[in-house]
Amino acid sequence: MSLSEEQQHVLQVARAEVLSGRMSRRAFLRLGLALGLSAGATALVACGGTSTPAPTATAPIAAGSGPTGRLRVASEIPVQLDPAFASSDAEILILNHVYDYLVDIDATNAVVPRLAREWTISEDGLRYRLVLAPGVTFHDGSPLTAADVVWTFNRLRDPALQLPTADLYANIADIAADGDNAVVFTLAEANPFFLYDLSDNHALVLRAESENPATAFNGTGPFRVVEYRTENRIELAANTTYFQAGKPAVANLEIIFFADQAAAVDALRGGQVDLVLRMPTPLFQTLQQESGIVTVQTPTNGFDLVRLRADREPGNKPEVIRALKLATDREAIFRQVKAGLGAIGRDSPIGPLFSAYYSEETPLPPRDPAAARELLARAGYANGLQLDLHVPDSGDRPDLAVVLKEQWAEAGINVNVIVEPESVYYGDNGWLEVDLGITGWGSRPVPQFYLDVMLVSGAIWNESRFSDPEFDALAATARTTLDEAERVRAYREIQRILIERGPIIIPYFFAQLSAHRAGLRGYVAKAFPGRTDLATIAV
Amino acid sequence: MKLSRFVRAFFADLATATGTTIVILFLGLALFGPLIAPYSPTRQNADAIRLPPSTTHVLGTDRLGRDLFSRIIYGARDILLLAGGGTILAVLSGTLIGVSVTYLGGWLEELVFRIFDGLLALPALLLALLLLGTVGPSRSGVLLVIVVVYTPIVARVVRSVVLSLKPRGFIEAARMRGERLGYILWRELLPLVAPTLAVEAALRFSYAIFLVASLGFLGVGVQPPSPDWGLMVLEARNEFALAPWSLYAPAAAIALLVIGVNLMAEGVRRAIREDVTR
Repeated sequence: MSLSEEQQHVLQVARAEVLSGRMSRRAFLRLGLALGLSAGATALVACGGTSTPAPTATAPIAAGSGPTGRLRVASEIPVQLDPAFASSDAEILILNHVYDYLVDIDATNAVVPRLAREWTISEDGLRYRLVLAPGVTFHDGSPLTAADVVWTFNRLRDPALQLPTADLYANIADIAADGDNAVVFTLAEANPFFLYDLSDNHALVLRAESENPATAFNGTGPFRVVEYRTENRIELAANTTYFQAGKPAVANLEIIFFADQAAAVDALRGGQVDLVLRMPTPLFQTLQQESGIVTVQTPTNGFDLVRLRADREPGNKPEVIRALKLATDREAIFRQVKAGLGAIGRDSPIGPLFSAYYSEETPLPPRDPAAARELLARAGYANGLQLDLHVPDSGDRPDLAVVLKEQWAEAGINVNVIVEPESVYYGDNGWLEVDLGITGWGSRPVPQFYLDVMLVSGAIWNESRFSDPEFDALAATARTTLDEAERVRAYREIQRILIERGPIIIPYFFAQLSAHRAGLRGYVAKAFPGRTDLATIAV
Repeated sequence: MKLSRFVRAFFADLATATGTTIVILFLGLALFGPLIAPYSPTRQNADAIRLPPSTTHVLGTDRLGRDLFSRIIYGARDILLLAGGGTILAVLSGTLIGVSVTYLGGWLEELVFRIFDGLLALPALLLALLLLGTVGPSRSGVLLVIVVVYTPIVARVVRSVVLSLKPRGFIEAARMRGERLGYILWRELLPLVAPTLAVEAALRFSYAIFLVASLGFLGVGVQPPSPDWGLMVLEARNEFALAPWSLYAPAAAIALLVIGVNLMAEGVRRAIREDVTR
């Protein structure tokens, strides 16, 4: 995702509104979801255009046999089901099967056709023409036309409606139907990542003039909603007239809600569900020993960010930042906290899966607590440094905090760990205010998103208040250039800067951990589990 | 009451003796923990993750490679200090309020005990969560919670005793003699409240242990990496199948200590009753 200057302006205004109390936390969170912040909530699917495919699965399903059987998938509890507000895995997992995106991102991170079967982009990168697949109908029988797409995207970008996507699509100058089966998007500024933006989690195509999208469930997707029992489960049945041949493979899909991931895993062991899309590391390790269950780990670009505010003491001293980095043993963290699942980080959000963009040119200095202690003394902390470390209680983050505390103590950095419920950590912008914190960032298909919302000067979620003119210029180049080689160069320099002086530590990238019962065919794991395609799975 | 007679009555019972031994054992662990514990409770070892019990790690290690035996020992100190300290404070404040306010009576008694009734209407754990949500999770927060949750209960118990004593002749006599309020409260009333108080304190102590452990388990009590037993149970919950010992050790410690304290409380109650009936 990339943000134009105009979009950035909107974000900055929004930030100011929030900080001054004029914008509600709820509205801010909605805006947040548009940009995909909360721990993977609005993230898209795996890795960079140049990454390795997820090493999953299984034989393709024979076409023409017709959907048979029932697939039961465990999920967290969805809060609401209007696509425009969908944010969690659970919500997007359901909506992704009731509706369709114009384009999709596959497990190898490539943009692939969905409702749009082909597209052309003008030379200047401003005009995108997408041709819709023929013969697509909504579940109520009405045909899909370009007007539906125009209506959907106009709704998503309408500033008056204050939808989370308004900023994302602020760069769109015009959306027009070109006949009944083609749509033209005209941009104000070139955006090399626009197709990824079109596949934003919220951008599911609705029927024009839909009045109550949260409850009508009138989509074009591979399944129709039969019954939705709030906080319990949702029953779906195959859309027998679905436009993609051979999909869905099962006749019935049941998504069962669990408040507790341990309970979902127990349901899988007990045979009450067939597939669990997400779980913490120890539960995954437990299932690895179980017969009759297949565990799947998929590398992702998601990471935990340890960051120190650089706009005030003690983070405004470069020696302190270097001391924290020197006191950290990323390899040990990776083993202790992540059990070696995922990848070791290098203090930059441009991870190894963004292979062409990722670089190991700049060496990461080896751990040296004594040198860290000296740096601290030079910065005026000869007697050590005392800091509160705020951490949300989700995932393996409390463990990360505890391991850091132990490692940093050797360098005279004494940390007081404060574990908070996620709602408290993110509530009232606490996470943006604290000096030292750990924030989870979900997986994104392109790295530019992280730079634009997290690291450029004044960015809306610049939690570390990092502000570096050289970095900003490089990020701007990478955001707008249509020359891929130039972007690669910019990203390499960015990684050097972040290793040398970024007030952030990224100790590891997550693996997406899922499991299903043996005998399930056609499951392809995705970095953002909500975007898993259940229509390819046969039981 | 003669102390020696009380002690004899107290230890006459096997269950009481067992309970007391358990409590003394844990007290010993708490007092001499650093001398007994083979490792630091927070020392991690990336090469010793989830080791089963062995001679080097008597109770095994947890997911970060920390020695569970050392954590249990240091955890004993934590929980006894918090639960014990909280109980003592709650008993002190509950007694002070219960004796004086009840004796004075009038609108003050009405006001204080209606407020206490209000607090008692809320389940202890809910009240604790509300309080910790306000003051934030910390050791002092947990201590405060125990005091606030148990003071009304102690005060109520004390009140019932004081109410039965208040109309008795010797109190009347003391008043007639022109004794000062302090004298009546501490010399006349308190000695007669004391036996009930002792039983109540022992009971409160066992509930306080449970409360501290519950708050730790819910993640709102003592913060990591403190070797809090409840917190250890919480952290071990997801990896039960991988390292059951990391769950069994803190769970057994909580159970054992609570059983010990309960047996002891029962002993106190019985010894006092026997002493009174004799």
